[in-house]
Amino acid sequence: MAETIIETNGLTRSYGDICALKPLDLQVPEGEWLSVMGHSGSGKSTLMNLVGGLDRPSDGSLRVGGEDLLALSEDGLARFRREFVGIIFQQHHLIPYLTAVENVMMAQYFHSVPDEAEARTALERVGLGHRLKNRPGELSGGEQQRVCIARAIINSPKLLLGDEPTGNLDNKSTIMVMELLKELRAEERFTVIMVTHNQEVAAWGDRTIYLDDGVLVREERMNS
Amino acid sequence: MLLLAVLAMASSLATALGIVSSSMEKRVAEEVRKYGANLVIIPESARLDVGSGGLNFGVVSEPSYLQQKQVEEALVKSALKAEVSFHLRGALQLKDADIMVEGVNFSDIRRLFPWWQLKGNWPAAGETIVGSDLASRMKLKVGDIVELAGSNNKIPLRVSGIVASGGEEDGLLFMALPELQRALGLDGQLTLVRLMVTAGGDSLKKSASALQMLLPAAKVNEVRQTARTSEGLLAKVKLLMLMVTAVVLVSAGSSVAGTMSTTVLERGKEIGLMKAMGGTRWEVMLIFCGEAAMLGVLGGLAGYVFGSVIAQFITKTVFSASADFIPWFAGISLGVSLFLALLGSIGPMISVFRLDPVRSLRGE
Amino acid sequence: MVALKLIPHLLSWAGILLVLLRGYSERRSVVMKTSITGFTGGVAGAIILFRTFPETIPFGSIKTALAVSFFLLWVFSVAAVYSSTARRVPISRRGRFVNTSLCAGAVAFLAGMVAGAICTCRFPATASNTLTFIVLVLAAGALAYALVFCVRIIERLLPPSFTVSPSGMLIAVVAFLLFSSSSILRLDLFSPLSMKVMKGIHDFVHQFMESILIPDHLFVRSVVWKYIGILFSKGVGFWGGMVIWFTPAFLIVLAVNFERLPSVAHIRQGAQRRKLLAAAIKARRHRLVIPLLSVVILAAAAYQSSFPSTEYWDPKPIPISANQSGEIIIPKKGEVNLEDGKLHKYLFKQGDREARFFIMVTPEGQLTVDLDACAICKPDGYGQAEGSVICYYCKTLIPLETVGKPGGCNPVPVVFSVKGDNVAINGMTLINTWGSTVQATTRVKEGGK
Ligand SMILES: Nc1ncnc2c1ncn2[C@@H]1O[C@H](COP(=O)(O)OP(=O)(O)OP(=O)(O)O)[C@@H](O)[C@H]1O
Ligand SMILES: [Mg+2]
Repeated sequence: MAETIIETNGLTRSYGDICALKPLDLQVPEGEWLSVMGHSGSGKSTLMNLVGGLDRPSDGSLRVGGEDLLALSEDGLARFRREFVGIIFQQHHLIPYLTAVENVMMAQYFHSVPDEAEARTALERVGLGHRLKNRPGELSGGEQQRVCIARAIINSPKLLLGDEPTGNLDNKSTIMVMELLKELRAEERFTVIMVTHNQEVAAWGDRTIYLDDGVLVREERMNS
Repeated sequence: MLLLAVLAMASSLATALGIVSSSMEKRVAEEVRKYGANLVIIPESARLDVGSGGLNFGVVSEPSYLQQKQVEEALVKSALKAEVSFHLRGALQLKDADIMVEGVNFSDIRRLFPWWQLKGNWPAAGETIVGSDLASRMKLKVGDIVELAGSNNKIPLRVSGIVASGGEEDGLLFMALPELQRALGLDGQLTLVRLMVTAGGDSLKKSASALQMLLPAAKVNEVRQTARTSEGLLAKVKLLMLMVTAVVLVSAGSSVAGTMSTTVLERGKEIGLMKAMGGTRWEVMLIFCGEAAMLGVLGGLAGYVFGSVIAQFITKTVFSASADFIPWFAGISLGVSLFLALLGSIGPMISVFRLDPVRSLRGE
Repeated sequence: MVALKLIPHLLSWAGILLVLLRGYSERRSVVMKTSITGFTGGVAGAIILFRTFPETIPFGSIKTALAVSFFLLWVFSVAAVYSSTARRVPISRRGRFVNTSLCAGAVAFLAGMVAGAICTCRFPATASNTLTFIVLVLAAGALAYALVFCVRIIERLLPPSFTVSPSGMLIAVVAFLLFSSSSILRLDLFSPLSMKVMKGIHDFVHQFMESILIPDHLFVRSVVWKYIGILFSKGVGFWGGMVIWFTPAFLIVLAVNFERLPSVAHIRQGAQRRKLLAAAIKARRHRLVIPLLSVVILAAAAYQSSFPSTEYWDPKPIPISANQSGEIIIPKKGEVNLEDGKLHKYLFKQGDREARFFIMVTPEGQLTVDLDACAICKPDGYGQAEGSVICYYCKTLIPLETVGKPGGCNPVPVVFSVKGDNVAINGMTLINTWGSTVQATTRVKEGGK
């Protein structure tokens, strides 16, 4: 049995009187690919933000990679994010006036020092070797998402979070992105947590959890 | 871009006003110089009304005189930096009429009274220039020969020019000082010494009293009206400029603040992303501060260039003189622009510092 | 109250201590102990020196120590640049020796000793009065203790990534010592340095002119003279001094900047590699802080020496004239008491020629009359500071003992006689001496016209 990378106990997040996440207990072993499903507003993104150190829980305990996120200062959280987590968003969030390489290098910059050669290699690895100098506006949705993947893995994170990374993509691009992620995971051995509305996408993972109104309602293990 | 323009404008205005006012100061100082003498030395008993239009004969008929030697010595002793002209006034007869004649050294006159308008030429030896009123009264033209009758001899002189100054000089006839002294039998005597001391403010008073100490038999008076008024005017104009600059700076500052905060608002997602990627709040803020500072520097440089051009334009059109090229105003311009940029972005920077990555990435 | 004057010096010592503690972070206790022993030793030693020898010897020896440390700094900075640009980073014997506790102790001890001695130099005269002396020592001791306490706290508060390289330590120590000494006129190094530079250049130009330009000396164009004049101006000395003063600091900054980053090529994972690099770059940046700070301190020292806060006794020359027989007679105890140990300036005019001179009593009780000018500088005159007079032009200090003796930048002595209670000087001789001296110096200084 691998070590647990994420461990939550009674994790709660409420916005005023709206409780986005009811007390949640969740364990994720290292190297697992966890899919998170649930209807809109069920607290999936909230969970991702908490686990990724972008947000702080209202209550409960949250340990990620042996680090107690509640005990970390604001800057400590930032440091945790830069070294431990890679995030892929549904809306890409690429900086429009920077080229693909520069977007990747920006992640390097915040992590340590930029290294262009390494950024190029990363982009080549996601199959964008020919579009290095293009700006995000000149790339298709699938290509943009692949830039995001390159950016997310450039700092060798232990944990890769995807908040509906395939939400805007058609079937073909989706499969391409998922194939890519699977390949990369085989090499880098990071843990994946991915929010999705798509049953087929969820099926790529090892396990799927279902959230409803901030409550974990069902858990499903894939056997492949 | 807008920001850059605002910064450049503000700093250029500051530079321009600074340059204009500093060159104006020089200009006014020159102008004051142009008004000529600022000290006069007269004999103790004589009465002199500056600008009242000549002496009456009663005074002149019983005049007392300054000794040229004494005055020269006193000037040397006092070590004043001054332009000096010696004057001797007396009456001579021309065609049986008494006229006022002033003996001067023409080279001094040319330096001290640059505003005299002369038709004809400055006189050589044996020549004279005549005030315009006197000339028309006596029907004299350039090239005429006048014959002046003194106490003991006759002096023929050729009129080399007609002078118009708008002052009492228009009624006088000018001739070389030694000639007049000889003609009147007053060797080495003077009725008036005009001094132009190149100094401003207090030191003029000091020079006056210093001279007075050395010349007990004379009276040293200040002639300062013109200088004083122009200095007062200058101070007022400066105040006005200062106020304009202040207003410009304040409005530019607030516009910088406004522009900056919209930029930050627009780039909220970017900031959120930076934070999500692991930038600490300080790091992200520093990046934006650096951007502001860079804009400030660019604005300052552009402002200096523009400001110099504007200053040149203003001084050309208003004062009809060329502005000085003052390199250290680049520093001021840079400072103003940088200060504005950083001051204006304090508020936006705080919001950058505080911005919550989750909310901004959601697109709120 | 007087003890407050010691604060800059004590602060300098505290600064040295702080830097050394951080530099030898594994040998804190050694540094602390030796530095304090050195400091007290320095104070005690200097007091003993002041008691047993005339003032010039302790001042001279401390100044020599300072000069030697500055020279060492030069050597070290050049070596630092050399080794940092070298291909490999050799862990030489020297490099290892720097890290021993012996070296740490020695540096701390020596620096502390000089710092202590400088402190004592602030009040060389007080050593004679026992009571004030004890009070002063107690006050200074309390201050020093408080400072040491603060230093320890501050040192703990500094982030651990903040390290100091050996060259950084040295430059900081020297900078602090020079800063501390620059406020004491007789220990100041910067002014003599710039003076030396100026004189060196003057001599060089002289030689040059004599060897090359003499034949058509008179035909040298005025433009050329202007440039030669620049070489003779005071600015040359100042700027030359500045260059020498700051070069080691900049060399060390460069050396730190050129320090090779650790080789990271063997690490396969990009992120880790970059992290190591980033850490190395950060550490290097931190190591730059102390040398850069030292530049600021050196600048402060240079400033202090160029614009000393010491007030000179500089009376206005009293105009005076000669009697019928051409003698200037000044009563010893007239309006001014000539024998109060201060210098008294007079201005003598004869026709359009004038001469400035001063009368004073040297510490040995000898009356002396001298021109207010020396044989080599422009006649900017002299001011009196504690134990010496200073030439305003070249900032050379002339000990009071040697005033009245000719040579160098000493004020040119004037022949005089004491007639009863009066001092008598021949006006004509005075004017002539002034004329010949001043003419000779101004002609050279103004560029030969
Ligand atoms: N900043 C906020 N302030 C107030 N309420 C919030 C905030 N963020 C989220 N919520 C609420 O918390 C609940 C969970 O939101 P969350 O974004 O986690 O849903 P989600 O599962 O990601 O939905 P979707 O699938 O549409 O992205 C929602 O009801 C939402 O309105
Ligand atoms: Mg969501």
